Amino acid sequence: MIELVDGGRWTTIQDRGRPGLERFGIPAGGAADWFAARVANELVGNPSDAALLECTSVGPTLRFVDEAVVAVTGGQVASIAGWEAFRVARGSSLAVGAIAPGLRTYVAIRRGIDVPLVLGSRSFCQRGTFGGGFGRPLATGDRLPIGQLLAHEPMLVPWPPAHHLPLRGPWEVRVIAGPQAAAFASDALERLTATACRVTPEIDRMGLRLETPGLRLPSEEILTVPMTAGAIQVTPSGGLIVLHVDHQTTGGYPVIATVINADLPLLAQARPGDTVRLRAVDMEEAARAWRRMSGWLELDL
Amino acid sequence: MWRVAPAGDRALLITIGTVIDPALLAEVLALDRALQDRQPAGLLGTVPAYGSLLCHYDAGVTDAARLEESIRQLEGKVEYSIPSGTIVDIPSRYDGPDLPEVALKTSLTPAGVIEQHAGREYLVYCVGFAPGFTYCGALPDEIAVPRLASPRLSVPAGSIGIAGRQTGIYAVESPGGWNLIGRTDQRLFHPMADPPARFKPGDRLRFIPIP
Repeated sequence: MIELVDGGRWTTIQDRGRPGLERFGIPAGGAADWFAARVANELVGNPSDAALLECTSVGPTLRFVDEAVVAVTGGQVASIAGWEAFRVARGSSLAVGAIAPGLRTYVAIRRGIDVPLVLGSRSFCQRGTFGGGFGRPLATGDRLPIGQLLAHEPMLVPWPPAHHLPLRGPWEVRVIAGPQAAAFASDALERLTATACRVTPEIDRMGLRLETPGLRLPSEEILTVPMTAGAIQVTPSGGLIVLHVDHQTTGGYPVIATVINADLPLLAQARPGDTVRLRAVDMEEAARAWRRMSGWLELDL
Repeated sequence: MWRVAPAGDRALLITIGTVIDPALLAEVLALDRALQDRQPAGLLGTVPAYGSLLCHYDAGVTDAARLEESIRQLEGKVEYSIPSGTIVDIPSRYDGPDLPEVALKTSLTPAGVIEQHAGREYLVYCVGFAPGFTYCGALPDEIAVPRLASPRLSVPAGSIGIAGRQTGIYAVESPGGWNLIGRTDQRLFHPMADPPARFKPGDRLRFIPIP
């Protein structure tokens, strides 16, 4: 059992999410930085579907009723050495505190957090206000039971720094053109990828609003189509909305390009004011990027 | 000709058409069923909406080109018929905050707007945006009005809205830009229900005014 002595700014329980329910309007969800979450579970020896804490901007303070093995990954926190498993004594506290650089920090606890599965996942779904144990972000005083999920022994060495993703901008984010590329002028994506986009304060797990200084891409609403995480919608006012893990499952703004899966974690760590540069790639490069990251995960098992 | 385009590196979007049309939806749903029957290697799941179908795939098993090829084999071969299932009645209180404004914009009385909205059967074209949100069409031209200039930050669950030639029911509280003309007590989404959403594309419904 762990107790939240302080809930932090926006702390939720997440796992790999619930893909396959989009036809009911339910986004896949799961950890926004899937890579950091996956590594945190690896470090403590959990299977990749174990539930952990996703902390945003300012993390919680946890009190451990029992001894535990813990790993902290993703956005950096001052008080804890990240990316390695460590032991926490029974009755002691762990203050995650302010996160920087990066925006989201993951706290995995050996055996996983044991809250009920809802639609196959323990992840909190913000749009549906269900899952995550309480159907809401965690609050001071919440008590979280620890589960029984184990895959292997905790890792004895820190995660190699060469196998981390960057935590600060300017961010280079790779995209695949489309699916509504035809709704734009033929040079639109080229002009967009030449523009330094700026992250606005409007960012959450559903999506990030980006400004494109000096560039306005005219667009018109289209008939509602299904949407994916990473879709870059262009609104009639010319702004961009990049959908993230808790995205709306359908939308009526055309999508000029879609962020590749390997780079979605970068958008989970971007902060307001950061610069994002989009780079168009082909399927082969997207597949290489994916193989590179999954190779890191397999090598270090 | 179906348009097949990548939606990132793990999904393909098949666009059969770009207008609200029962025959297009029928073809989308028939393709959806055909793919579920055939189970092409690596296909993880599909999402239908109006004239298009999203196909999520496992990039470790297949790739965009191979999946497109197995989808193209079905082009022109799926048999479909216009959905004709039971019509579900939705008891509706027409007391939405935008009803007077919609009446003004359409030069009808509020009672006239209600008569136009409630007096017909609708086809469910899509469940999406937020959990359980039910998109229906098509609205008669007489009450087709644009979305609100600025969306509301919060629309209560059960609200009935209209926008363009669409009408929809908000199943959970969410932001929203549609004109709210009424509400229903019917619960359209419950995470513990199986399936979690009350409606699916191809279903038919009718709004029944209640006091």
